[in-house]
Amino acid sequence: MADKVDVKQGTLALMILTTLQGLGPLHGYGIARRIEETSGHRLKLNYGTLYPALLKLEQEGFITAEWRQSENNRRAKFYALSAAGRKRLAHEEREWRRTTDLIAAFLAPQRETP
Amino acid sequence: MSTLRALLARIAGLFARQKSDDDLRDELESHIEMETAENIRRGFAPEEARRQARLASGGVTQAAEAVRDRRGIPWIESAVADLRYAVRALRHSPAFVTVVVITLGLGIGANTAIFSVVRGVLLKPLPHRDGQRLVYLRQSMDGPAGDNVDFSVPEIADLRAATPAFGGIAEYSPWNVIIEGDHDASRIDVGLVTGNFFEVMGLSAVIGRVTRPSDDGPGVPAVMVLTHEFWMRRFGGDPSIVGKQLRLDGGSATVIGVLQPAPFFPGPMDALMNMVISPHHLSAQMVQGRTHRMTEILARLAPGATLDQARGQVAAAYGRMQHDHPDAYDPGSHYRVSVIPFKEALGDRARATLWLLMAVAAFVMIIAVANVVNLTLMRGVRRERELVVRAALGAGVLRLRRLLLAENFVITAVGALFGVVLAIGGVRLLVALAARYSPRANEIRLDPVTLGFALGLSVAVALLLSFVAALPREGTLGSWISAAAGRLSGGLRKQRLQRALVVAQIAVSVVLLAGAGLLTRTMIRLADVDTGLKTEQVLAIDVPLLSPSQLSGTASILQADAAAKANYERMRGEIAALPGVVDVGLGSTMPLSLALGSLDVKAEGRTPAVGEAIPHADFRTADPDYFHAAGIPLLAGRTFTLTDRIGSGRVVIINRVLADRLFPGEDPVGRRVAWTGDVLRFTPFSGDWRTVVGVVGNTRDGGLDAPPVPAMYMPFASEVAFTGDLVVRADTDVSGLVASATAVVRRLAPTTPIDHVLTIAQIKDESVAPRRLNAALVSSFGLLAVLIAAVGIAGVLAFSVSSRTNEIGIRMSLGADQGQVLRMILGEGGFLLALGLGLGLTGAFVGTNLIQGLLFGVSPRDPLTLLGVALLMAVIGIVACWIPAARAARVDPVAAMRAT
Repeated sequence: MADKVDVKQGTLALMILTTLQGLGPLHGYGIARRIEETSGHRLKLNYGTLYPALLKLEQEGFITAEWRQSENNRRAKFYALSAAGRKRLAHEEREWRRTTDLIAAFLAPQRETP
Repeated sequence: MSTLRALLARIAGLFARQKSDDDLRDELESHIEMETAENIRRGFAPEEARRQARLASGGVTQAAEAVRDRRGIPWIESAVADLRYAVRALRHSPAFVTVVVITLGLGIGANTAIFSVVRGVLLKPLPHRDGQRLVYLRQSMDGPAGDNVDFSVPEIADLRAATPAFGGIAEYSPWNVIIEGDHDASRIDVGLVTGNFFEVMGLSAVIGRVTRPSDDGPGVPAVMVLTHEFWMRRFGGDPSIVGKQLRLDGGSATVIGVLQPAPFFPGPMDALMNMVISPHHLSAQMVQGRTHRMTEILARLAPGATLDQARGQVAAAYGRMQHDHPDAYDPGSHYRVSVIPFKEALGDRARATLWLLMAVAAFVMIIAVANVVNLTLMRGVRRERELVVRAALGAGVLRLRRLLLAENFVITAVGALFGVVLAIGGVRLLVALAARYSPRANEIRLDPVTLGFALGLSVAVALLLSFVAALPREGTLGSWISAAAGRLSGGLRKQRLQRALVVAQIAVSVVLLAGAGLLTRTMIRLADVDTGLKTEQVLAIDVPLLSPSQLSGTASILQADAAAKANYERMRGEIAALPGVVDVGLGSTMPLSLALGSLDVKAEGRTPAVGEAIPHADFRTADPDYFHAAGIPLLAGRTFTLTDRIGSGRVVIINRVLADRLFPGEDPVGRRVAWTGDVLRFTPFSGDWRTVVGVVGNTRDGGLDAPPVPAMYMPFASEVAFTGDLVVRADTDVSGLVASATAVVRRLAPTTPIDHVLTIAQIKDESVAPRRLNAALVSSFGLLAVLIAAVGIAGVLAFSVSSRTNEIGIRMSLGADQGQVLRMILGEGGFLLALGLGLGLTGAFVGTNLIQGLLFGVSPRDPLTLLGVALLMAVIGIVACWIPAARAARVDPVAAMRAT
């Protein structure tokens, strides 16, 4: 458990949007599970982090929410990506890659000259 | 875009709470169930599976809280909660709330009302275009009515030529005309203006047009521009008035426009006209006579020019004028010109009074706030336990502070609301007061600025109240809780603050009372001034039968004059026949008011010393009965007789001051005097020698607070009836004659305006009224302050007693008797009282000098007033101390010690 990290501010939204793009409409529990799995269980999400983030995305109009029956016949609130959310995700992805490339470029030469 | 959308969603989230809360609970519940099901699948027992699910996801409550914070706008929600809590908490202490709201309301109300007046009369920018660049020029000289002697046309021409700092000089000559209606006539105040007047003043018409240079000179139609106020008052704001002809002074004038609302100086104006209505204003006398001063001037500073430049240029030009025309500027009378920003000139008479009232209101506010602070401190002590409990339950210092803020905002807002209600009434009262002092009184109103002032005051008070309450510094909450859990008391710091506030309240009250006392004594002194009249049962009726244009016309007026005199005689005869009338006299001017003007006089065989001001006297006329009817005593010689008329020898009667001036230490009867000076040729009077046949007593013609004015009376029958006044003396109550005497005059002169119908008591009252209002306002503020201070000292002592009940019980059980306890508490209060009195008297000693200008007949450091004030404050203070002290003395030692 010691190597589990908290989610960095700002990155959670990107993870939620990617998850919804990959898997389609999903409830909160499913999103949490999926993110933890994708991170190889290095990330641990609790409600206090997840649900405010979902609400924020909903308020911003990037995702929509709807009560439905789940696969094993339970009522659950399902979140789905909206058109605005799709656009947002594409934009965020580009930004993210640009940033990581940039940071990588800074970090790389330092490793070459120890 | 998305941020805005989120904000809107959050604002929406402020409402529909319940529904969202249910929704969230369901969602979290389903989350846990799914996780539990997963755990069961992995092989956990159901109980354990559920426990694990809860553990894995963190606390449900925290999650719900985090989502809730995200859903609405947390600070608004908590502010609403705080306010709701504040209202609830305040509802539990209605007595506290009532006292605070009333105290603050009085303070805020008084300040808002008086600030509205100060703003309307002194501070607000003038309605004129670039009004701050308008300046007023005033020519003054020594002597009565010398404050403002106006300018003559040649003087204005000289100034205009020598002052490039002025972009323009506007002239207006205050004049009055009689406007005839279908059934009556009334006198209106007009300004005769040159064509550039409105351009220089920066005023324009709201309907029609204003005058222009083409309206100047002779041979043009007479036109008039109505002032906004007159238009509303007389014509009810009827726009069709423009273009109509009005009958005035026997001729007519066309209304060409209505002016925007604007103040005039020295007093309100009804209309502005071109000069052609008054042939006199176009005559050679007026245009060429350097001493024929009857025009007021205002100038506009040229672009880039400063007031100092203008002052320098005016001073230089005026010096040259005095050098070139020595006969027009008597050196002994110290002629001078001042250049004053127009706004200041308009506020001149009001300034001292208004700042005094503003200071008084501020003092009341200080006392009120001190009291409220004290009350809050005391309440805070009682609430300490509540705050400690809240802190122990997890409320941070910030949160506690916010709670206090919310409470104080609520209570000061209610106080401010009450204050504004009071201010609405107060402003109405004060407009009447301000109208006596300022032509801008109709600009006074409660507007956003003054309401903002009230709001600002209440916010400042709320902040102050929230920060005097003692809360621990961040991080020391724990020690505060443990310390406070045991003993609750005011704490030394707080008690010291309370005591200091009481001392300040007493001191400020003493200063206010001293001011109130001085102003009240001023008013009493003024009402006691000997008017010079031996009776008050006198009614004066001003009826000028000859109109200004008849008088100033070039044609002979002898015929009109004879007819007027015959009519006056008829009036006198009919009024004398009314029941209750003892005597009726005729003269030019009513007693206790200034004559139309004054002229230089000389005495035969006496030349004034070099540098001595040339003596001058008011010109008045009187018939044989005037002095007796008015109650003016004859000191020497005789009054006029029926034989003193045109054709007989010229005789005059002079008053005491003039006699002393012209014939010091000698008997004036039989000596000869004459009118003289440059101005004489503009009057209908001759400069021949006249024999003094009598001396009469002085009367306070320039107001009760002004020294008597020299006056010379000529026989009514031998001079032109330039004005006319009937003086009616009754045997008992003269006010009963007002209606019947006015009816006689109305019947005999149906188209003549009756300017004044006043009893001597009313004339006196007019002179005292402004001071009475001052005294009444300051006194009521003073008493209010004392009352608040008394409540303050009693409250603080009572609080001290209640927190020392235990100690008092111990003292009594150790042998202290009731008298000792009483003395102990009285001593505590007495010390504060003495300190406050000492500070207050010192303050009064220094401060009352500032109101010297408003006092009459009493020194600003009048020992009697200060002593009386100190006594009054001491008595009230001791009574206020006695109540809690007596309660302390009644403490039952057994009960007191058991109670803890």
